[in-house]
Amino acid sequence: MANENEITRRSFLSRSAVVGGAAILGGTAATSLAGCSSSSSSTGTTAAGSTPGVGTGTPVKGGNLTVGTLDEIDGFYAASNHWDTSGFLYANAVFDPLVVVGADGSFQPYLCESVTPNAAFDVWTLTLRPGVKFHDGTALTSTVLMNNYKALIASPLTGQALKQVANVSAPNESTFVYNLTAPNPTFPFALTSQLGYPFAQAMIDNSTKGGVNKPIGTGPFMFSSWEPNSHFTAVRNPNYWRSGLPYLDSITFRPIPDTSQREASLTSGALDMIESSDPGTIKRFENQSQYQLVDSRTGVIGEPTMAFIVLNCAKAPTSDLTIRQALAKATDQATIQKIFGAGFGQPVNGPFLPGSPYYTDSGYPTYDPSGAKDLVNKWKAANGGKAPAITLTTITDPRLAQVVQIIQQMWKQAGFEVAIQTIQQAQLVDNLVIGEFSAITAYQFGNVTPDLNYVWWSTTTVHPPGQISLNFPRNSDPVLESNMLTARSTTNTATRVAAYQTVDKQLAKDLPYLWLEQYLFSEVATMKVQNFNNLVLPNGQKGYSFDEGVFFPTQIWLNS
Amino acid sequence: MPNDRELDATNNTEAVLTDHYPGMAAIDETILNLETDAISPDGEVLKRPFGPLFWVAIGWVSLIILLAILANLLPLQNPNYGNYNILNAGPSLQHWLGTDDLGRDLFSRIVFGSRVSLVVGFGATFISIVAGGTLGLLSGYKGGALDSTMNAASFIILAFPAIIAVIALVAVWAPPNLWKITLILGVGTIPLMYRVIRATTLAFANRDFVVAAKTMGATTPRILFREILPNVVPIGVTFGLISVAGLIVLEGSLAFLGLSVPLPTPSWGNMIAEGSNNGLLSINPLIMMWPALSMFLLLLSINLIGDRLRQRLDVREGLL
Amino acid sequence: MLKYLGKRFFQLVVVAFVISVLVFLLVRILPGSPAQVILGSSYTKEAAAQLNAQLGLNHSLIIQYWDWILNIFHGNFGQSYINNETVAHELATGAPIDLELIILSQIVAFAVSIPLALTTSRRPNRWFDNVSTTGTFGMLALPPFVIAPIMVAIFAVNLKWFPATGEVPFTQAPLTNLHDFILPSLAITAGSIAVYYRLLRSDLIATLQEDFITMARSKGLSNRTIMLRHAFRPSTFSLMAAAGINIGGLLAGTFIVEYLFAIPGLGYTLVVAVNQRDYLVVQGITLVVALAYVVLQFIIDFLFTVVDPRVIRE
Repeated sequence: MANENEITRRSFLSRSAVVGGAAILGGTAATSLAGCSSSSSSTGTTAAGSTPGVGTGTPVKGGNLTVGTLDEIDGFYAASNHWDTSGFLYANAVFDPLVVVGADGSFQPYLCESVTPNAAFDVWTLTLRPGVKFHDGTALTSTVLMNNYKALIASPLTGQALKQVANVSAPNESTFVYNLTAPNPTFPFALTSQLGYPFAQAMIDNSTKGGVNKPIGTGPFMFSSWEPNSHFTAVRNPNYWRSGLPYLDSITFRPIPDTSQREASLTSGALDMIESSDPGTIKRFENQSQYQLVDSRTGVIGEPTMAFIVLNCAKAPTSDLTIRQALAKATDQATIQKIFGAGFGQPVNGPFLPGSPYYTDSGYPTYDPSGAKDLVNKWKAANGGKAPAITLTTITDPRLAQVVQIIQQMWKQAGFEVAIQTIQQAQLVDNLVIGEFSAITAYQFGNVTPDLNYVWWSTTTVHPPGQISLNFPRNSDPVLESNMLTARSTTNTATRVAAYQTVDKQLAKDLPYLWLEQYLFSEVATMKVQNFNNLVLPNGQKGYSFDEGVFFPTQIWLNS
Repeated sequence: MPNDRELDATNNTEAVLTDHYPGMAAIDETILNLETDAISPDGEVLKRPFGPLFWVAIGWVSLIILLAILANLLPLQNPNYGNYNILNAGPSLQHWLGTDDLGRDLFSRIVFGSRVSLVVGFGATFISIVAGGTLGLLSGYKGGALDSTMNAASFIILAFPAIIAVIALVAVWAPPNLWKITLILGVGTIPLMYRVIRATTLAFANRDFVVAAKTMGATTPRILFREILPNVVPIGVTFGLISVAGLIVLEGSLAFLGLSVPLPTPSWGNMIAEGSNNGLLSINPLIMMWPALSMFLLLLSINLIGDRLRQRLDVREGLL
Repeated sequence: MLKYLGKRFFQLVVVAFVISVLVFLLVRILPGSPAQVILGSSYTKEAAAQLNAQLGLNHSLIIQYWDWILNIFHGNFGQSYINNETVAHELATGAPIDLELIILSQIVAFAVSIPLALTTSRRPNRWFDNVSTTGTFGMLALPPFVIAPIMVAIFAVNLKWFPATGEVPFTQAPLTNLHDFILPSLAITAGSIAVYYRLLRSDLIATLQEDFITMARSKGLSNRTIMLRHAFRPSTFSLMAAAGINIGGLLAGTFIVEYLFAIPGLGYTLVVAVNQRDYLVVQGITLVVALAYVVLQFIIDFLFTVVDPRVIRE
């Protein structure tokens, strides 16, 4: 299916992550601690002229909402399943995050009452709300959080992500303390990921008996049924700690990997709402009076998810900077965005967009076909006259299949020999992590803070091809490394901004990544779906409600 | 176990049906019925003229084959070159069938794409006829342990869900290319072709003319090639054409899963997949329509040709 | 009869054994491993070793195979590495979709092909016959991956007669369920119609030459009676044979339709499981589908003896 289309898009843990082919990214995007100037409301259009996704009128109780998602998840257990966009959508229905991202880019307590650091930012204390109960009636206590933590740290999947935590303690039933190995002013953002969605003790107990396919959380909806690849249904939690919520009786998610079929399902009336990561969706549903559209063209807080090509800096010929420069100059972002961005693209020169404090004029090469040819000729002259051969790897995915064909043509015109290789998602590790690739498509970043990219950019995670290297391009840059470390530990905003700007420029100089476009998420709903883009937090503040395709179902209602 | 060939040779249907493997009778039965079509209401065996439709079909298939062979010599545009200034254009003098979402000439892609369908369809059928046919002839004529072993093997392979085996083999033998896919599909079709040829051979092995040749001391190869083979060929040809059509569809299914020829090589299968994905069906239906139409006409023609040939090659008349 | 059943059972066991070994080995030579799929970018050697130990993939192949088979004898097909659902559950939810697709598409195929063949075989090679024959060739030339997107565009998106994807379980709302299955079933029925029509038509033409038909005609029986009472039954051999092959091919073979209509039956589940290297799911479903195929062939065999008692087996 086609992926099948890739039939399964598996995504890596947490929002900080990664990789690979289509959509292996974490659910949530990004926020810079310094905040970012762009407003929290996403763009969108409706005929009525009201803000799409922000409900007007009195909320109505009842009804079932059916949402078409990009793909199926592998499960609900935060300690052993990868949550991608769909994973976080499901999780926001049955669980609650301890911390969420506010509309202003700050972190905000959600399930916990407060999250406070010590003066050195290396001890973070959570205070839990009294009276919060899991769906099975057990109370949310620090003991449960402690057992959650033990399960997460023991998991081969999530254990690594908790390396920055030295230990935890539970001084009393409503207080939970994280002691970090080093100061980290942005630590709470880690709790907006799957590391911070508390699950009931019963799930931990069941996990040792082989299988936790019935999630038990504190969330607005309670698990009802899950048929993988068919549907997931959850029903209203009558004892939800946010009184009066949720409005819906039930919510159903249906994974439909094929974009055309997902859109057809919405227009044929089988679905009330769809997710999409195809910019074409925006084009097709924009300005349609019977649909509401919300998308991430604007309103992304912090780092967006980027589409790019990873170049292997440790394997010939891409190990040669001349080659990487030639490839960068040969790649015409504008054309790619014109065709695949459905005309909504903006030039990208690094992981940050204009509006982010870390955005700089990075010096990333602009499209220059003759310059690319010159570089290729220079390389040829030095390498016996043979044209440099590149294998452009991608995973089975209908859209990526089109993108790589255009890039192939551009690179060929610059004098490269380019072969396209299509692999299955299951082979990504062999290619990307083990380093057996020369150029490979990827969607990544979109992080809460650039610090979460450390593991992907650090010199400490570079290993030669054949060995596992989390720095996939194997770009070993001491300047980048020192600036990442400086930015992590400082509490001075100006110092951090300067450090990340340097990182941005180093990436443009080293060229481990060829930036293609912002990876756009969109959400289309029929007119009866109200308030799907208007997260109001328990403390009355606004939350970041359309976070790279992820929304909260809590405050949605249906007009008849 | 009573051997099929010991049964009354004139009662072909029963002879084949008493096969040792269930369901195989079904295949055999179908094959035998390929012969029964050409009888007129008055019981006369007809030699119907091929009819105009047949010649139209022959013309279409020949045209496609010719274009596919000569594609490199024809003044066609580069099928993989995208002109980004004319995306999704309608038919024009410059681009007879329009352009696709990457600005590539659809006519050129259809012509070059036909190569994949034809090579896979005819190539894989050829492989399966040669291998499966030889095995089927030997197995059907010789009988014994060879026959029962191969019979059992073909039964088991046919029970294996085909698509899983194909997907797995394409993934294992990476990267895929036209020849590998042809070989995989060809080998995968051997059991079916083996069944067909074996059943037909069984039906002829005890006919009078074969028995007569045997009593006159003809050698086994001579009987196989001079007496049996000529009678098996018509079935092979007609079933072969059915198999060509089936394999063209199978390649399309693989392309739909992204498992066929590597990009950007056009194939009708991957063009159909491309045109029906990414919401393109509503933006530019031509991308899917042209390859779908070409495939439709090719399959229709192959089936028509096969049907008419089967009537014309009807072996009964000569035998009885 | 006992001997016959015994022989069939023996065949079933042999097929099951060989298929189980084949599929066990096939999934293990696939590039990539379950650990790589599950861990993704957090893949490390240590994590993979830990995971493999959890999944029992650290044992030798022979032990893995033995454990699998032994568990099956205890009625346990194991569970998915990816989503922890038991294979039995995947079978229980997927098989009804395959069955419904097959049953509905075959009902349509028979409902169209039988009356059509009964009509045209009486006057073969007339214009109606020629049109029908060419028309059914056209149906053979419409693979599901062509017809499905077109039907969705017309009947779901434009006319809004049917949902583009999904289904409501039959047990919840039988009528809605049947409505949801109309487009997917139609997408796979075209090929069956063509084959059934052509075989039944040629068999009927042959049967109508038989003496007993001439006799019936001379008795002045109506055409309708002759066709339905006398000619039809002896002419259904090829039809049943072809149905056997066809349905066998549709077992786990409708994955493109299942994918396009987002109704995950066994075919779709299998393809997903292969892509995710979900060994036990692939093994379990393949084994069950292969056995279903064998049993289906037994049934067709048995039907032959019912239709024509002359076909006697050892």
